[in-house]
Amino acid sequence: MTATEIVEATLADIKERDGAIGAFLEIYPEDALAQAAKIDEMKKNGDPLPPLAGVPVAIKDNMLYKGHIASSGSKMLAEYTSVYTATVVERLIKAGAIIIGRTNMDEFAMGSSTETSAFQKTKNPWDKKKVPGGSSGGSAAAVGAGFVPASLGSDTGGSIRQPAALCGVVGMKPTYGRVSRYGLTALSSSLDQIGPFTHTVEDAAIILEVIEGKDIHDATSVDLTETTVGELITPSFEGLRVGVPSEYFIDGMDEDVRKLVLDAIDVFRKGGAEIIDIHLPLNPYALPTYYIIQPAEASSNLARFDGMRYGTRAPGELEASYVAARGAGFGPEVKRRIMLGSFILSAGYYDAFYKKGLAVRTAIRKELDDAFKKVDIIIGPTSPSVAWNLGERFDDPIAMYLADIFTTAGNIAGIPGISVPCGFAHDLPVGLQLQAKPFAEATMFRAAAAYQHATTWQKYYPEIA
Amino acid sequence: MDIDLTHIAKLSKLKFSEEEKAKLAAELPGIIDYIAKLQEVNTNDIDARAYLTDAVNVFRPDEPVSDETIRQAVVDAFPKKMGDALEVPGVFND
Repeated sequence: MTATEIVEATLADIKERDGAIGAFLEIYPEDALAQAAKIDEMKKNGDPLPPLAGVPVAIKDNMLYKGHIASSGSKMLAEYTSVYTATVVERLIKAGAIIIGRTNMDEFAMGSSTETSAFQKTKNPWDKKKVPGGSSGGSAAAVGAGFVPASLGSDTGGSIRQPAALCGVVGMKPTYGRVSRYGLTALSSSLDQIGPFTHTVEDAAIILEVIEGKDIHDATSVDLTETTVGELITPSFEGLRVGVPSEYFIDGMDEDVRKLVLDAIDVFRKGGAEIIDIHLPLNPYALPTYYIIQPAEASSNLARFDGMRYGTRAPGELEASYVAARGAGFGPEVKRRIMLGSFILSAGYYDAFYKKGLAVRTAIRKELDDAFKKVDIIIGPTSPSVAWNLGERFDDPIAMYLADIFTTAGNIAGIPGISVPCGFAHDLPVGLQLQAKPFAEATMFRAAAAYQHATTWQKYYPEIA
Repeated sequence: MDIDLTHIAKLSKLKFSEEEKAKLAAELPGIIDYIAKLQEVNTNDIDARAYLTDAVNVFRPDEPVSDETIRQAVVDAFPKKMGDALEVPGVFND
C-alpha cells in the first residue's frame, strides 16, 4: 500500500465510524495527504524511509501543531491557532508519521472521563454508553476503535494509563524528563508527561524512541544515556523481580478486576518471574498529595489565560476584563481546581497544604526508590474499576478523582508506568499497570512485552455499529 | 473548614454567581478535608522538593534565535493592537 492509500483509508474510516465515538475534534485531510505524498515520493525515488514513514498518528488537543487549532478541550482556546509545533509532534513528522487529527480531552486535561470537554463527549469504543476514561479519552478511543495505530496523550495523574485501561489498549507515561513538554499546554509542570497509545508494547517503545530525548526548549528534559529502547526489548520474564504492593488491592475495588490482575501476576510467576510482596504504606496519600500539587500548579499555569494576548478579549477595565474573559472561557471543573489551587497557595494555608504536599511527595518518591532496590517492577491494577456510565460520576468530584488512585503516585514520584490490557470484566477492558524506577523504561517494556506475548488480549477489537 | 470564597475568587480572578458560589461552598470543604489527610504523615526529616529531577540551571549559548513567522503569528493573534504593539486596558488609571 502507498502512504496515500493508507491515509485515504484512515480518513474514510474516521468519517464513517467516528460519528458514534467522537474521538476526534478535527482531522487534517489536506495536510495528511500532503505528508503522505512526500513519503510516497521518497519511496519512489528509492530514498531510505524514516522509522514511522506513512504511519497515521493522532495527537491530543493540548499539543501545539503550527497553523492548527489547539484548544485543550476549552472554549477559552476554541479558536487559538498554534504559532509553533510541539517538539514531540516535530519529531513524529520528521520520522515520517502522518498527523491525522487532534483528539478530544477533558478541559485543560482536568478529568478522568473526557466529559469536561467543552465540545463533545467521547464514547468508549467497547460500549458507547460508557466513558473512555480521561483526560486523554479521545486519543485512547482513537486507537481502541482502530482508527489509528498510535496516538499521543498526556499524563499528569494517570491521563494516559487510565483511559488506556478503560479502552483496552497500551498506554504509557515516561519518566519525568524523558520526553519534552515544549508545545504541550501545561497543566501541572512538575507532573505532566507526554506518551503513546498503541496496541502493542513494541509499538509504544518505537513511538517513545522517536519522541524522547533532550530538548533545548524544555529545561526539564534529560540527556538519555540509553538510546534504542525498541531494540532492547527482548520479551522475557527471566530474572524479573516483580513487587506486588498490598496497598494496590483495596476494599471497594471491583472484584472481577482484582481477579484478572491476580491472574496476570500468575502469568508472570509461571513465566519465571520472582513475585515479591511489598508494602507502600504512603500510597494512600498519593492521591491527596496530587490534589494539592496539581491544582496549585494549574492555578499558576492557567493564570496566563486572560484574553489579553490571544483568544477573546472581554470588554471593560483591566480587572473586569480578566474576570469576564476567564468566566466565559473556563468550565466548572477548571474553575473549581483554580479555586482549590489558589486556596492551597494562599497566605495562611501555604505551609499546611502546599509545603506539606511537597514534603509528602518527596517521602513517596523515597518510599518507591527503596522499593525498587528490592524489585524491578511494581505491578497492580491501573484502574479500580472498568468504564462507568457517561454522566454517572459527573456531579461527584471525589468519586471522579478516585479513578486515579493507582496512577497518581507515578506522576508524583516521576517514575515510568505502562498499562496493558489484561482481560475483560463486565464485557469491558481491564488494564494491568507495570511501573519501574526512573529511566528504566527498557525493563518495564521487556516485562510488559513478555506478558503480551504470553497472552492475547491486545488482539481484541471492539465492534462499532 | 471555613473558606473565604470571595477572597479566593479575587486571587483566582474569577467571578461566581450566587448559585455557583453555593455549589462551591458545598463542594470545596469536602475536597479540602480530603487533602488535609496529609497532616497524618510525619515529614519532619524530609527535605521537600518541588521538582524531582536533578537538573540544575540549564543554559544555552547567548545567541539570538528568531523566527519571523512565529513573531508575526503572535502579533496577528493580538485581540487589540496599535501597529505591532499589544494594546491593553490601562493598568494605572489615576
